[in-house]
Amino acid sequence: MLELDLEVVRDGFVLEVALSLGAGPTVLVGPNGAGKSTLLRAILGAVPVRRGRIVLEGRVLLDTQRGVSLPTEERRVAWVPQEYALFPHLSVRENVQFGAPGAAGRRRAGEFLDRLGLGPLAARLPGALSGGERQKVALARALAAEPRALLLDEPLAALDTETRASTRTLLSETLRQLGIPSLVVTHDARDLAVLAAPMVLLESGRVQSVGALSGFRAAPPTDFARSLLAPLSS
Amino acid sequence: MVSVLAIPLLALVVSTGAGDFFGGLRHPLALSALRLSLLTTTSSLALTLLLGTPLAWWMARHPGPTERVVSTLVQLPIVVPPAVSGLALLLAFGRRGLLGPLLESAGWTLPFTTAAVVLAELFVSAPFYVQSATTAFRRLDEDLLWTARSLGASPARRFFEVALPLSRPGVVTGAALSWARALGEFGATLMFAGNLAGRTQTLPLAIYTALETDLRPAKALSVLMVAVALGVLLLLGRGTVLEAVRARA
Repeated sequence: MLELDLEVVRDGFVLEVALSLGAGPTVLVGPNGAGKSTLLRAILGAVPVRRGRIVLEGRVLLDTQRGVSLPTEERRVAWVPQEYALFPHLSVRENVQFGAPGAAGRRRAGEFLDRLGLGPLAARLPGALSGGERQKVALARALAAEPRALLLDEPLAALDTETRASTRTLLSETLRQLGIPSLVVTHDARDLAVLAAPMVLLESGRVQSVGALSGFRAAPPTDFARSLLAPLSS
Repeated sequence: MVSVLAIPLLALVVSTGAGDFFGGLRHPLALSALRLSLLTTTSSLALTLLLGTPLAWWMARHPGPTERVVSTLVQLPIVVPPAVSGLALLLAFGRRGLLGPLLESAGWTLPFTTAAVVLAELFVSAPFYVQSATTAFRRLDEDLLWTARSLGASPARRFFEVALPLSRPGVVTGAALSWARALGEFGATLMFAGNLAGRTQTLPLAIYTALETDLRPAKALSVLMVAVALGVLLLLGRGTVLEAVRARA
């Protein structure tokens, strides 16, 4: 369980979010500038939080009232940004092993390389990979670090249509097997359909609605939600 | 313009035959200066890397008014005339300088010692390294560093395994420029460390001294320094002369 109650103020923009995320994926949707990436970065500890609390599996990551703020490296929250942020000077294997030290870590990294079909690419540098392969490396790297929560910022946005379809299914299966709170930002209705996960609609820095995809489809709470889900009706 | 820049160097090389060059290099004045220059520039480069790298990292990570003041101070020695640098060093670390009595009470006398040569070289050359390394660190993709943090990497690991390897071209360029500047340092060294053979007489000072007695070591050392400078340029990937020659060949 990942419990959030946050207020972030950045350059006049105010983000106010109170949410409880269960195990498995939760999809975060909203128009550009709604504060989705800022929310992810706040959970990560990469942007200052003015007021609030983050509790992950009973462990307090942040509590502004008590002056608690764990540094990012101690939060055990893995983050996959939009462009994946693979270390360009490290091989695929070294990237995946980065957050998995020791013999046990190496074994775990090897398992994720195999599970995501990256074994044959292990010696390559990220620059020599396709978009889909890079996405898988970023996911394997995040998972090999044994995080307690996972943040994926538009994980499929940089992929072409064909790669996107296959990676979408793989992502959905992996997140379900993983069983940790995972927040997935997307702009694509097909991602919502395949992930079939609880949805959070964020607009202008506030949570407008939370619920299942079916509920959103039956009664879209805002114009943005209506246009986002339109492709699923056709 | 090109001829103004090239003719003096050409004249130097043309007027120094192989006999002059090898004979000059064997001259006691040249050998001792070579040894001293190698020792002092290696020492000043080591100090530059040791002290300049954390400073460059701090400046790149903490932009703001304090960083701008520090940056201006650090860059000043690049534009200050070497003679002024020498005088400033004397007034700071000389026997009657600002810190002179303090150093003397600890048993250290800096002026006119080999350590003074190292300090003068550090003073004039470190800014080139700090500037280049700061620029390289600033260009790092922030997301890479946050990703490393999210994967549990300590500050040291983030620096040595992510930031430094990715900034290597800028850091190496800065180190090479800084070393070349230290090797050519003359004015500040002459004023702060003097011109004592074997102790403070570096290559440029040996060239200056040889002019009054025997021109051969002066020419040999000058050709050597031009070759070293060319080598540094090639290392930095700016060897347009040789590239052009290679392209024509």
